Amino acid sequence: MSDREPEDRYDLSSRRKSFLGLTKESALKGLFGGNAFVSIVVLGLITFFLFKEGFGFFGQYREDLTIYRKSGLEYVELMREEQNALSALNRYLNSIRTLQSEQLTESGLEFSDVKAVLRKDEDFFYDFEDLAFPLREHILEASEVVATARDSYEEMLDLQEHRQNLINAGRQSEANSFEITEIDLGQMFELVKSKEGDFNAINRHLEEEIPALLERAPIYDDPDLNSRMNRFKELATLFLSEIPVYEERIVLWNREDAISIGESFTSFIFGKKWVTNSSIQNWYGIVPLFSGSLLVAMIAMFFAVPFGVGAAVYVNQVARPLEQNLIKPFIEFISAIPSVVIGFFGIAVFGTLIRNMSGWDSMEWVNFFPLSERLTGFTAGCLLALMAIPTIFTLAEDALNNVPIAFKEASMALGSTKLQTIIRIIVPTALSGIISAVLLGFGRVIGETMVVLLCAGNRIEIPQFTEGIGVFFEPVHTMTGIIAQELGEVVNGSLHYRALFVVGLTLFLISLLINYFAQKIVLKFQISRG
Amino acid sequence: MSLVADRVEPSTKMDVPESESQADERNRSLIKISNFDFFYGDKQALFDINMDIAEREVTAFIGPSGCGKSTLLRCINRMNDLIDIARIGRGNVQVNGVDVYDERVDATELRKRVGMVFQKSNPFPKSIYENVVYGLRIQGINRKSVLDDTVERCLKGAALWEEVSDRLDTSGLSLSGGQQQRLCIARALAVEPDILLMDEPCSALDPVATAKVEELINNLKNRYTIVIVTHNMQQAARVSDKTAFFYLGNLIEMNATVQIFMSPEKEQTEAYISGRFG
Ligand SMILES: Nc1ncnc2c1ncn2[C@@H]1O[C@H](COP(=O)(O)OP(=O)(O)OP(=O)(O)O)[C@@H](O)[C@H]1O
Ligand SMILES: [Mg+2]
Repeated sequence: MSDREPEDRYDLSSRRKSFLGLTKESALKGLFGGNAFVSIVVLGLITFFLFKEGFGFFGQYREDLTIYRKSGLEYVELMREEQNALSALNRYLNSIRTLQSEQLTESGLEFSDVKAVLRKDEDFFYDFEDLAFPLREHILEASEVVATARDSYEEMLDLQEHRQNLINAGRQSEANSFEITEIDLGQMFELVKSKEGDFNAINRHLEEEIPALLERAPIYDDPDLNSRMNRFKELATLFLSEIPVYEERIVLWNREDAISIGESFTSFIFGKKWVTNSSIQNWYGIVPLFSGSLLVAMIAMFFAVPFGVGAAVYVNQVARPLEQNLIKPFIEFISAIPSVVIGFFGIAVFGTLIRNMSGWDSMEWVNFFPLSERLTGFTAGCLLALMAIPTIFTLAEDALNNVPIAFKEASMALGSTKLQTIIRIIVPTALSGIISAVLLGFGRVIGETMVVLLCAGNRIEIPQFTEGIGVFFEPVHTMTGIIAQELGEVVNGSLHYRALFVVGLTLFLISLLINYFAQKIVLKFQISRG
Repeated sequence: MSLVADRVEPSTKMDVPESESQADERNRSLIKISNFDFFYGDKQALFDINMDIAEREVTAFIGPSGCGKSTLLRCINRMNDLIDIARIGRGNVQVNGVDVYDERVDATELRKRVGMVFQKSNPFPKSIYENVVYGLRIQGINRKSVLDDTVERCLKGAALWEEVSDRLDTSGLSLSGGQQQRLCIARALAVEPDILLMDEPCSALDPVATAKVEELINNLKNRYTIVIVTHNMQQAARVSDKTAFFYLGNLIEMNATVQIFMSPEKEQTEAYISGRFG
């Protein structure tokens, strides 16, 4: 046999070098597979954590609402609604008086003379104000009792939990060493409930006094003031007719009604109040935040869609190569600006600019101008539009670019103009791509935090959609903004903490939905192109 | 035939009213290309082309890949306007006596007279019906009766009516390759052009579909002037009356098809046809 065996050309077994039983290929495969696995696990954990923290909220919120009912806070709040209605009446009355004094001053009267005129019928105003007094007192008292009851009850729960923890830890003696006063919410509430007669008596008093007082209402020379006073009388009569409704609601209210988990769910989803750190009751309703987010996103999309899509069509179809090379990087550059810088610009320059512009004489025809606020949904929306434009532009431009040149040639060869080709062939063909670009831009806007936190004004209230266009110029708060603002301050595991998680979860679901639809649309796009 | 936009005074229009005798004459030259040079950027693609293309005849362009057949074809209906770097050096292209590169000529009007069918079938992602009527819709013609008539006439003209008459609403992209190409021909016919430019219309088709398109060309040549680019010698021989042979951007030889295939004058032509180079 020779030293070297002739190579067997049909020995097809692998000749790749291996290290620790791993070939290069399988090592690489392991590396990439491992990376993919880790990211999936991390994502899964994040999602799981979000859901876990979030869903705990509903149970906890239900307990919270139950205490709210059992302690009688809810009962007091029902009575307070009547008080609020009365206060609103009083405010309206005061506005008439303010208007009168303004009119008098404008007519050139001395200050002392103005006072003299006003003094003429001040009795009427003071008497009406005094009417609200007993009701306020009654409610204040009741509210103090139930709030104290609630606070001590919660303290008791805390102590009980603490003791239980000690027992679980085996520190029995320590656990027995402190006493826990049992609080009976029912008993405490009886104190309030027993005074229901007083409440009814106050109402009888109101029913008697208000009509009598209205008889004495002053009559003015000025028609405007007079019509306002008449309006006041109408409102007061309306209030009177509603007193039985308030009473009935209190009678119907039942302390023993249990709160279901569904109720805690709906009071989150449809809750119109987001109130934290309140001495009476915290509310976690997402509607004001959701509508704020939606409002800001709508403003942003109103500007970003025409600009983004328009620019994409222009750059892709009309612009000369030189223009393309100029515009494209410029728009894409916008997305490189950190959002905090854009927000800073919004506060420092843009918000002020808008407010100042709203004060211009040429802007007087807009009925809600001039603006009092610098930071509004509009300010934030405009800046968000700036951030959405690159997203929409880039993706829409891609979609347009994907339209086969053959379509354009065919259309031109049939004698259509460039514009006709764009409108009838290119944009419709790219439409699903453009729509998904818009959707993803919307997702970007809904999820953006810094700009809204800095520029949206952060007033937690449902925007007044009845105001027409004016609604866009109200300060709003958003889902992203509230998380960024409040998460740092809440106690870990508290109801508030969990509520913020559910807000995050809602955002997560919205983004998921948007992405899902965007992908579906793109998929349809690919199919229709064959 | 008016290629000139309305802003031009009637007197300056280069319309030649067709007299009876002219219309009857078969060999009247409809497309006239003289001393034509064409560039892509700095690169010259066509060198001093001179040719006459007669009315109601089929003229075939043959020649090796990259010799400028498509380029010349696309110069006739100014499709090269779409290419940024394209420019004309010298000479002109006349269609029915009008210089198509005259600045008063509206390219869209020109393209309504000079239809085009592309190498790769390219129906729009619209229904078969909408594909055919597209050329009318962009001219603002939306009368249902007119559109319906056009669809039937053109699909019949393109020998496609039988196959698709019961599914005009389905997407043009759902047809087979051969059907798509005939749909594109129908679409081009709908605008009622005088000239039909076809750039390798059968290169993506199987022999059966090719035969159908060739038969179609034979039928169409009674009414249209057809210029067809092809790499298939048999096809050129079968369908064309005249054949032009190009090489490296030059027109080497143009003559009656029989003449070219039987006894070419130039050696290069002979070599190409007999397959000695390509
Ligand atoms: N858009 C363009 N930009 C630059 N050069 C081009 C362009 N189109 C064609 N050319 C060049 O012009 C020359 C002629 O091209 P053309 O497409 O007319 O050839 P052809 O004869 O149609 O070839 P084929 O038979 O392969 O279709 C080629 O050298 C080609 O590289
Ligand atoms: Mg070609």
